[in-house]
Amino acid sequence: MIWIVMITTGCLTFLIRFSMLSGFAPKKLPAAFENALGFVPIAVLTSIIGPAVLIDQAGDFDIAGNPRLPAAIIATGVALLTRSAPATIASGLIALWGADWLFY
Amino acid sequence: MVHPLANQSPIHTTAAAEFWHGVRDELPLMLAVVPFGMVFGVLGLASGLAPLEVVLLSSIVFAGASQVVFVQMWGAATPGFLVGGSVAVINLRHALYSASVAKYLQHLPLRWRLLLAYLLTDEAYALSIQRFQQQPPSPNQHYHLLGSGLTLWSCWQIATIIGVFAGAMIPNSWSLDFAIPLTFIALVAPAIKNRADLAACVTSATVALAGQGLPWQSWILTAAVAGIMAGWLVQRRTRGAA
Repeated sequence: MIWIVMITTGCLTFLIRFSMLSGFAPKKLPAAFENALGFVPIAVLTSIIGPAVLIDQAGDFDIAGNPRLPAAIIATGVALLTRSAPATIASGLIALWGADWLFY
Repeated sequence: MVHPLANQSPIHTTAAAEFWHGVRDELPLMLAVVPFGMVFGVLGLASGLAPLEVVLLSSIVFAGASQVVFVQMWGAATPGFLVGGSVAVINLRHALYSASVAKYLQHLPLRWRLLLAYLLTDEAYALSIQRFQQQPPSPNQHYHLLGSGLTLWSCWQIATIIGVFAGAMIPNSWSLDFAIPLTFIALVAPAIKNRADLAACVTSATVALAGQGLPWQSWILTAAVAGIMAGWLVQRRTRGAA
């Protein structure tokens, strides 16, 4: 079963990438569609970040005493300052370990 | 937006020169891609997929963020059509890249267009479109995308395999799964440039948190669509006002 889903998903992704190179597509995407697609990365990635930071393993909101919250805030600051993914990942993980060790 | 240099008269660069230029441009990004691929490998196993399934997902789908969503949803026993649908929505943005490179690639034979479409990821697109737009055209310029795409492809496969092997050995207390949201923070934070971007971000996070009770992890797709609509609406309003 998983193989059917994997292959279908892979084909869909490939067809999206091939769409405008196929020679059959219109030369330009409709402007409204193109504008909306511009928001896909921010919307999709944030929908994963939010719960990964604020929801605990039991599925409940976790704010007070949650070491991932200060770690995510520090990582966001580092991301804005350095624009470097390795620096962001490293600072976030170090902050998480540090917060874990210091307070919890 | 046509860069002034793009109108320059064509130059002749060799296929090898363009290929290695693409490889060199792409290499610095591997500092971020390799840890991400390794974490994906670890996460895939933790979600209950078999090692071979995790490794082949990286070559069959070959789109990082959507693979994370795939294993998260599959691990939560989501019906296949919802997994496929969510991944497709997430990867719809590649249609933008496809449209943008079409101008430079549409004259190529079908086998080239098939191969380059398979390699058309965020990272390869970002660098090769710069080469196409900002440097004089050359009959061999598509080798640049082959170089950047294959560099990313090889690193992504190797990183996934390392992650799958290391996954069994890394203790849970290291919280390496947290590297996934951190990778995404690194991508999202610098991308927020105006009110429409911010609206997409805030709406998506709010809906994702509020929708945790929805079945089959469908909060991912719900939040993504809500965020896209919020961003689009705010952009329309701010542009209309201007």
